[in-house]
Amino acid sequence: MARSQGKQLALLLLLLLCNTLFPTPSLADDAGLVVSAEASHKISKKFTAGFETEFRSRNNFRTAERVSLGPSLSYKLLPWLKASVSYNLLIENNKEHLTYQDDEVSYNNWRPSYWGLRHRFNVALTASYKIQRVELSLRERWQYTYRPSQTIDNFDFDEGMWEDYEVRGKGKNVLRSRLQLEWDIPKCKFDPYASVEFHTTRELEKTRFIVGVSHSVKKKHSFKLYYRYQLTGSGSDDPNIHMLGLGYTYKF
Amino acid sequence: MKKILRYSLMLTALTLALASCVKDDTDLSDVIAQYQVEPVSIEPDYNDLNEAPDVPVTDENDSAYNDYVENTSWNKVIEINYSGNTATVTGSVPGVTVRTDGAHVTVMNMSGPVKFVVSGKTTDGSLKFYGDKRFQILLNGAEITNPHGAAINNQGSKSLYVVLADGTANCLQDGPEYTLVDEEDQKATLFSEGQIIFSGKGKLDVIAVGRGAIRSDDYIRVRPSVKINVTSSALDGLRANDGIILDGGVINVETTGAGAKGVRSGGQMLVAGGRLVAISHGDTRIVTTDGITDTATCAALYCDTLLTVKAGTLKLKTTGDGGKGLNAKQDVRFLGGSLHAVASGTKEVKKPKGVKVDGNFTISGGYFYSYSRRSDPIDVTGNTSVAPGYATYSLTPVVLTIAY
Repeated sequence: MARSQGKQLALLLLLLLCNTLFPTPSLADDAGLVVSAEASHKISKKFTAGFETEFRSRNNFRTAERVSLGPSLSYKLLPWLKASVSYNLLIENNKEHLTYQDDEVSYNNWRPSYWGLRHRFNVALTASYKIQRVELSLRERWQYTYRPSQTIDNFDFDEGMWEDYEVRGKGKNVLRSRLQLEWDIPKCKFDPYASVEFHTTRELEKTRFIVGVSHSVKKKHSFKLYYRYQLTGSGSDDPNIHMLGLGYTYKF
Repeated sequence: MKKILRYSLMLTALTLALASCVKDDTDLSDVIAQYQVEPVSIEPDYNDLNEAPDVPVTDENDSAYNDYVENTSWNKVIEINYSGNTATVTGSVPGVTVRTDGAHVTVMNMSGPVKFVVSGKTTDGSLKFYGDKRFQILLNGAEITNPHGAAINNQGSKSLYVVLADGTANCLQDGPEYTLVDEEDQKATLFSEGQIIFSGKGKLDVIAVGRGAIRSDDYIRVRPSVKINVTSSALDGLRANDGIILDGGVINVETTGAGAKGVRSGGQMLVAGGRLVAISHGDTRIVTTDGITDTATCAALYCDTLLTVKAGTLKLKTTGDGGKGLNAKQDVRFLGGSLHAVASGTKEVKKPKGVKVDGNFTISGGYFYSYSRRSDPIDVTGNTSVAPGYATYSLTPVVLTIAY
């Protein structure tokens, strides 16, 4: 009876995430890929260290957007509470920036896409609560990203020539709040999960909705396959994006 | 089955990752290529020009009749020969007084038309004329430098015929500081209150370091076969208050002064032949008086009133800030000939423009080319009228070409 109630609850929550929270996708949306690989090692009962690398694409899978890599360390404060820190070096393909003159027709400046570095530091607390076979978790992550200054190309249509443009270094703080549900189906190696995550600065910058499945092999290897829809806040010109995610984790 | 699934996923990921090498930038290569086009090269051109025979007007009722030195009888002749710091005067004409002070020669002409044959070289001399009678200066291998003012200064208001003797090279140069005389203008190395008409098959170099190079408070006419090379590091190169008529000849003008014009016509300008290469290198001149700031941009050719081009070649280039190739304050009528205008300067203070027309612009023949590196190739305040029948009409962000 209790098992049956758990299934019903999980299904209900998944439906709520999928059907109620997910916005209607638009034709103008972009699509991309996220591929990640992680190695993690349990140093002690409470400490786990890891190293992750990730690749992302955009422009309907045609353009590489980011490669990242970095270590992480997590500590189990309580059986239901985990603290973690991580660093990521982001090698990012920044999008072009095109501006127009006052007539809104004539070009003004064009900075083509360029590759640049960013340094990202994360500190997170994750609280988990299991209701039978459904695990509900809430993660609060403070994310600080520093972009060093960089000189890039800019075509000034007024001058009719290429010139150097300095992208100034700056830091950015983001609070990421993620609510996730994961369902451990008995006698099934595929565990479905769904989450919603809010990226907040002074305003809501983006919201991510994820549904996926994870699959473990002999507790050492685990894979996940997911779909992510990223809804961009009104303050950004970036389109919303559909992402196909593939992840692999090796535990040793 | 699991392995197949696992490897399939990996393969899919790898395939998609490898496919992600396309840029998502807007393709602006064609647009940028239009901006990065190199303009035609415009440099002083000292080569001879094949010109049609210069046929003097013989109709006395023609307004140009008196501009032809051939239509006057020149039987009164005085020769002036410079040598170092002295000048030797040969010949006398009743009503004409010639005074010399070293190599500084002053002529008072109360007679009729008199021809002054000038030759020799001085580095501290001059030639000055008084009297309201038209006269002729035949430059017969003369090199006159006046460190303190104009090399030739005509205070009379009648025609000054400057004839360049066949095959001769002549040079006039001023100095950086002018010694002024009360109630007398002295605006250029070669200055005349009256009109100046250039003719002959010789060459004249005019260098200005203190003021303008050639200036008339009336008009200037240049006839075929004449070769004039002007360089000015101070004010305008060739300037006339009441208009300029180019019948022919080879003229090269180069200025470097801030706000200076290569050629400036205060009255109507007519180009009917010849080849004019005018280049201004100066930046915008900024003058603040009593707290009011005034700016003056350079121009290779500046015309205060109507400019008409019927034939001939105009090559105009400006390289300084805000410079204009052609700056016409009123209408421009382009009926034939060719015009190349290039503005490659910066726009810190003012916008550089290949061609700027404050009035109407009409074109019905010839070849017209204008390039502006940092703004539209042509800026017409009034109406633009391009007659049908052209072979080429091409307008890009920086170049306009119209060819008939």
